[in-house]
Amino acid sequence: MIRKIGYLFTGMFFGFSLSRSGASHYDYIYQMFTGENLKLALLMGTAIIVGAIGMTVLKALGNKDINGQEIQINRKPFNHNTIIGGIIFGMGWAVSGACPGTVLAQLGEGKILGLVTFSGMLLGTYIYARFAHKD
Amino acid sequence: MKLLLVDLWPWWLGGIAIGILVPAMYYFLNTALGVSTGYGNILKILNRASKLKWLNTSTYKDPFGWRFIFIVGMIIGGFVSARISGMPLLESGMGLFTDRLNWNYGIYAFWFFSGGALLGFGARLAGGCTSGHSIHGIATGQKSSIIATICFLLAGTFTTFLIRIIVFGGN
Repeated sequence: MIRKIGYLFTGMFFGFSLSRSGASHYDYIYQMFTGENLKLALLMGTAIIVGAIGMTVLKALGNKDINGQEIQINRKPFNHNTIIGGIIFGMGWAVSGACPGTVLAQLGEGKILGLVTFSGMLLGTYIYARFAHKD
Repeated sequence: MKLLLVDLWPWWLGGIAIGILVPAMYYFLNTALGVSTGYGNILKILNRASKLKWLNTSTYKDPFGWRFIFIVGMIIGGFVSARISGMPLLESGMGLFTDRLNWNYGIYAFWFFSGGALLGFGARLAGGCTSGHSIHGIATGQKSSIIATICFLLAGTFTTFLIRIIVFGGN
């Protein structure tokens, strides 16, 4: 139960931060890609650096979580699908002006076209599950 | 308080808040930050009896598990942000896209639905999205995430270049 509350609150913090930073605004995504306003690129760069510093600190402290368990880093495999999927994802990012996280913030903000993007994401995930998944 | 609750945050504040989530989620929950895998949870919830192999992998054994709770939290977070900063309850437009164009609403819907489908399919094929790959993956030093993020950004920049010329007529 306490873990569930933890996920709910970290999710809320994430959605709130994305919305408060303007990451859920179509305009800032568009302007990041045209180079007119690099606010969101700077935000991502800062998040990566802060995240990396935090992970280095955790490692220096013995790589243990709050319960004393070894922290298991989620390792992501690399293959040609990383590139193909990455290109398709980038196209979708530009077309919708959103990513899978910011579209959830858009839903909470009441953006109707955000709900449409969200529905499209479910279809895209289904197409993957139906036709592209190899086990 | 106005800076935190009404005005948009400066990029560095958003970056610090979001970046801290990566070690915080590992420390408190021993979980990797990531969003797009959770869309499979929603598919599983919509069709519990699905025979698709992918929806019957261990990831989706409990579709109401942490990924679902995290997604619900994110929606609530967006809602709270919109309420306290005085945004309208419902918004039919999508920034400069709907401001610059004068399309039928059904065509806007088709456009954003298509964009969403590309995001959903691409994220699964690439093994993650902007959260799982670009922020969590690079912060944990993964080669796959660096390459995926370069692809996200290059394809996004090129697609926006085309949209600017073809859809917005060069504006």
